[in-house]
Amino acid sequence: MTTLPTADTALSGTLPARRRAPIVRLLRAEIRWIFRRPRTLVVLGLLAALPVITGVAVNLTVDPGASAPPGPGPIGPGGEAPIFVTMATSAFVLPLGSLMTLLILMLPLTVAMAGGDALAGEQSTGALRGWLLAPVARGRLLVVKSVGVLAVALVASALVVTSGLVTGLVLAGTDGLVSMSGTELSVGDVLWRLAFAIAWSTVYLMGVGAVALAISASTEHPMLVVVSVLGGLIVSQVLLQFSALDWLHPYLLPTSVNSLVDLIRDPVSFDGLAEGAVRALCYLVIGMSLAYARLTTKDG
Amino acid sequence: MRPRTKALVAAGSGIAAGLAGLALTALPAGADDDPVLPAIGAEELVTSALAAEPPAFAGVAEVQNELGLPALPATTGTESAAELLDFDEVRVFHDSEENARVQVERRTSELTFVKNANEAWAYDSKKNAAKHVTWDDADVAAARERAGAWTADGMTDGMADPSQAAAEIIERLRPTSDMVVDGTARVADRAAYELVLTPKPSEKTLLREITVAIDEETRVPLRFDVYANGRSEPVLSLGFVEFEVGAQDAGLFEFTPPEGAEVETTDAGDAARAAGERAGAEDIEQSTTTVGDGWDAVVVGEAPAEAPSEAPAEYGQDLDGLLGQFGEPVSGEFGSGTHVQITVGGVILTDDGRFAAGAVPQQVLVDALDGQ
Repeated sequence: MTTLPTADTALSGTLPARRRAPIVRLLRAEIRWIFRRPRTLVVLGLLAALPVITGVAVNLTVDPGASAPPGPGPIGPGGEAPIFVTMATSAFVLPLGSLMTLLILMLPLTVAMAGGDALAGEQSTGALRGWLLAPVARGRLLVVKSVGVLAVALVASALVVTSGLVTGLVLAGTDGLVSMSGTELSVGDVLWRLAFAIAWSTVYLMGVGAVALAISASTEHPMLVVVSVLGGLIVSQVLLQFSALDWLHPYLLPTSVNSLVDLIRDPVSFDGLAEGAVRALCYLVIGMSLAYARLTTKDG
Repeated sequence: MRPRTKALVAAGSGIAAGLAGLALTALPAGADDDPVLPAIGAEELVTSALAAEPPAFAGVAEVQNELGLPALPATTGTESAAELLDFDEVRVFHDSEENARVQVERRTSELTFVKNANEAWAYDSKKNAAKHVTWDDADVAAARERAGAWTADGMTDGMADPSQAAAEIIERLRPTSDMVVDGTARVADRAAYELVLTPKPSEKTLLREITVAIDEETRVPLRFDVYANGRSEPVLSLGFVEFEVGAQDAGLFEFTPPEGAEVETTDAGDAARAAGERAGAEDIEQSTTTVGDGWDAVVVGEAPAEAPSEAPAEYGQDLDGLLGQFGEPVSGEFGSGTHVQITVGGVILTDDGRFAAGAVPQQVLVDALDGQ
């Protein structure tokens, strides 16, 4: 972290001058730092590959006869056909289906990893020490780190959707852009729905990321961050299986993921998605305030 | 110590705000106090509800089902009752005339029904198949005629006049039920009257009451609840959670099946004539009889003979086993059979292929069979 303007601010001494420290440069440095880590690149590569693998695998198992209607697709292990098998490999359902599947564990894992590296990881390698000693307000340190996590969340979601979209276009062209309500959608329609899905998924992942940052600020083991976040998600998903705990479900973050299916319906019903976004924002507020509280009381 | 207090304040207020937000999403909508509405009599309410033209609206309905239906395995091509009620929500669009769109949404699939001036579509996303029914003006006239004949036959021909119809309905219910307007409720954030129908004490039924919430402004029924004896929560509740009056996009009432979907087209006129020739409905009417009336009416009849053969062999073999699992054996003067009980009623299937069903306890079913 050689970009810190330590000399200037120490000399000028006035508050406004210090506030004008080039945050854009800090952000750029942080983001470059994140996307140069090999592990980030490996995970992003995996995320991009999964929709391709799903698409190709489904394309091989479903009757490839071009004119024959897909009909009742092969039934999934649960007896119910998963959506992206019934509608095969369309450029609309494949990206959304992949995003929903990956939102269960893989994408939160990516974000938790970024959150763990951001504070706990740098603490363990001693890189955070420079930040804590430098005259950078702790709030701004948190902003810089959160923007880093946000960038990972956005890039990961966009990568999954784009990879699914491209795979779908290669496999099926613009055929089968059909909503679950049976209406054919224009390419523009599909694109705005996918863009909305990316935005929503980013908000959801930031809910996860904020909790990761809060844990990250209180430990120096990045592994602990990833384990706690994944543990929390798995426990939440187990709790979601019990209908006796209905009252608890609105408080659990993974409740919202299924609302993404509403984007395949026509007209789109935004109620569930809006509720999910609010839920993610609540987690964001809680996580961020805890991370801030922990960070401001941290000693160099 | 200042950073420490700052940190505590930040953490405390952040957690409080976040939890409050989560609690808000958890709260059921419209948990406010009951609205205050001008008093209205049951008869007047029913009259106005029958007279009212449904407005153009968009709504979301949900169903809560505590019926305790046995989860029978679905046979090919058919779905068990428990499965039919297994959906997340239903979205309804109506344009105040003859056009309507209903979307039954399940977790990963959807059933879409679209009806407009001269055709109706039903699309199942799971099977990617659509059913298409068309009709022309002559069919509509014929249907009206049949409907007219039916009402003239079954009821007085005053059915066309809502106030007379309401009086008729209430008159028919009076010997067996009490009907009152019992306060008001807020349904889908709208003020509504609660119309309550309770059986007279002499009725031997498992049901405690049926309530219908009728919107004060538009007189559309917004919610329908069935209560059974010994339960405080409704055993079946079907109602709107969102209801918005307003013009709807005309495109919602058009349907073009997607490319590659299986489409099965029938003409309503032909179908009706074919049905008339087969007279299937009348057959069923002849093969069943109703014992008693009102709430403790019991339908007794012959179980349709072809039903078991439709079930795939592996289920057919264990059909008896399944019955044994869900039901309990009963016997009486009629012979012996199996009684399957759900929260709102029961069915006895006798060993010689007859059935008796009703919203009544087991003994009433047995008596009905004995009386045959």
